[in-house]
Amino acid sequence: MLFRKRTREMLLVAFFLTPALLVFFVYRIVPLLWNLALSFAFWSPGGSYEFAGLEHYTEMFVYDDVFRTSFVNTLIYMASMPLAIVVALFVALLVNARIRGRNVYRTIVFLSYPMMPVAVGIIWQWLYNEKVGLINYVLQSAGVIDTPIAFLNSTALALPSVIVVGMWQILGFFMIILLTGLQSIPQSLYEAAAIDGAGPTKSFFRITLPLLRPSLFLCFVIGVISSFTSFDLVYVMTEGGPAHATELLITYIYKTAFGLSEFDYAGALTVVMFTLFLSITLILNRFSGGEAGKVDGAN
Amino acid sequence: MQRVPRWSIHLALVVICFFMLIPFYWVLKTSVAGENIFAYPPSLVPKDPHPFYFIDVWYDIPFARFFLNSVVVVTIVIVLNLVFNAMAGYALTRDFAGKKAILFVLLSCMMIPFQATIIPAYLITAKMGLLNTYLGLALPEVSHIICILVFKANFEAVPKSLVEAARIDGVPEWKIVYKIMLPLSKPAIATNIVFSFVWTWNHFLWPLIIISDQDMQTLPLGLSYFLSYFEDTTGALYAFCVMVLAPTVFVFLMVQRQFIQGLTSGSTKG
Amino acid sequence: MDLLRALLFNRATLSLAALAVAVGLWNVYVAAHDDGLLAGRVVGPDGRPVAGAKVTLLQQILVGYERIESTTTDGRGAFRFTRHNQHKPVLLAEKDGVGASARTPVRLYFRNQNRVLAQPLRLDRN
Repeated sequence: MLFRKRTREMLLVAFFLTPALLVFFVYRIVPLLWNLALSFAFWSPGGSYEFAGLEHYTEMFVYDDVFRTSFVNTLIYMASMPLAIVVALFVALLVNARIRGRNVYRTIVFLSYPMMPVAVGIIWQWLYNEKVGLINYVLQSAGVIDTPIAFLNSTALALPSVIVVGMWQILGFFMIILLTGLQSIPQSLYEAAAIDGAGPTKSFFRITLPLLRPSLFLCFVIGVISSFTSFDLVYVMTEGGPAHATELLITYIYKTAFGLSEFDYAGALTVVMFTLFLSITLILNRFSGGEAGKVDGAN
Repeated sequence: MQRVPRWSIHLALVVICFFMLIPFYWVLKTSVAGENIFAYPPSLVPKDPHPFYFIDVWYDIPFARFFLNSVVVVTIVIVLNLVFNAMAGYALTRDFAGKKAILFVLLSCMMIPFQATIIPAYLITAKMGLLNTYLGLALPEVSHIICILVFKANFEAVPKSLVEAARIDGVPEWKIVYKIMLPLSKPAIATNIVFSFVWTWNHFLWPLIIISDQDMQTLPLGLSYFLSYFEDTTGALYAFCVMVLAPTVFVFLMVQRQFIQGLTSGSTKG
Repeated sequence: MDLLRALLFNRATLSLAALAVAVGLWNVYVAAHDDGLLAGRVVGPDGRPVAGAKVTLLQQILVGYERIESTTTDGRGAFRFTRHNQHKPVLLAEKDGVGASARTPVRLYFRNQNRVLAQPLRLDRN
């Protein structure tokens, strides 16, 4: 009797878990291993696998300049995220104040986050337009520049321009995370600090920042993820150009695999990207005390 | 924060909101502009606004078809997500051998970004013959680990006594989930719907890879093709952007609270 | 019952319903006005009606214009197309010995919309 109950319970659990696990098995675990296999093989669609050893990795690290560029660009993208976090922290502090209409402010700041990146890229491309773009118009009217700047066609400015858009889009999400963190700080701490004679600045650095650490790291992890996943913006705004100035690892992988049909080499690129991603996330995880790992890397 | 005067907070926030909103304003302005949009200096307000760019989008490209494709895929994803995630989340509230291992596998899978799987995922989908199909578009997204965990947390918060009482009364297990657990899990359901909608509606890379048939293109894909092919119909391009963003804005404004709660609970509490 | 009411009367459902009604009404309007009737008049440089002028319905394409169909004005300079099947047709009128009109785009709100042009096509170019 007991045994039968156990079995039924197991069957039920198995039945309930199977669909989800199957999806993750087929679309997460198998691809990961397949990528690994591809990266050590010579293979093109329709052909047979041949062992390649470290051939792809050698090519990548020794000869492939585009790989190096896209690797560095991905790191730059990632490294610029703290700037967005600082701005988001500033905004979060503002909308955390007891002021009228703060919900409206929160809504507006957050609004850009769920918008389709393809459309966002097209909109910003229009804002950046060299001849009639709003940004150039404002800068010229204000007398900051004399001749219009071709933001997305300049090797120096293209990447920062794309990153600004990425920041603009993710700012609201950071703000909400930091706001949640701020609201979980007990008010009594501030009151106690005030009694002890600590000013706002002091209590910000002594109370707010330390207690906000998990939220800040969470933001950074999300920023890291976005630097690996911002395919859409780059693809729409610059297609990785000019001269690979905005090439990220993910766009390079896409081009290598689906543009050039070099699936094996793209597999090796993916392995490198994934390793980089994993190591950075794990390091961050250490720093933040294990809180930040609980982010879905899925999107 | 007490010493900062209120008006300065308002001022700072108004400035920030201005920067957050200006791209939206600019695309909206361009999409109804009656003036030549390539004239310099650009006009800050639309002159003689008209809706003709929107009409061009409707007739010059199969907008309705793209829209339908997107809606179908999003619907499949939302429904399957709710079913699969609720099932898995419920299973994970039970005690069984190997639960720890399964949780570990799930948490590890969370660390695999979708972008790192595209090549084999494409090959698998091709092997299954699902290129250019709704199912092929939807399958990789029909379950999200984060949502499973949200469901799990939500189910665990349901009072045990309620479930026990039902079990003693001999209510079958699926009915317990359906009649007791789910009605008490509205936040989790909202989170699920919001996640699935935003992710799938906006998803570009996956359709770009597996869709080559124009009839099966989703909105982001249609938009990017419009960008590359119709360079002379710029006004219509921005009208298209507005038409693509409008549903998200609508959903966002309708379920704003659940939206923000869902996104934050999904990413912070896990 | 409460659940039903909650499902029916929330702002999301109500907004969607309002949207559906608006779309429905619009479609009724379209169905009543989509005979594709496009009518107008042709006048000479002097402003007097021109009979026997050839009016061509064009469609703008990527690299220029494509001819759809032509008709001729009657004794009072009037012309009409039916079932033009366009949402932004371009009209061109011409008559040997008098001249031609500018290519005149007509913006319609939906395909095959009935429209009577208020301004005549003026044959003021040679």
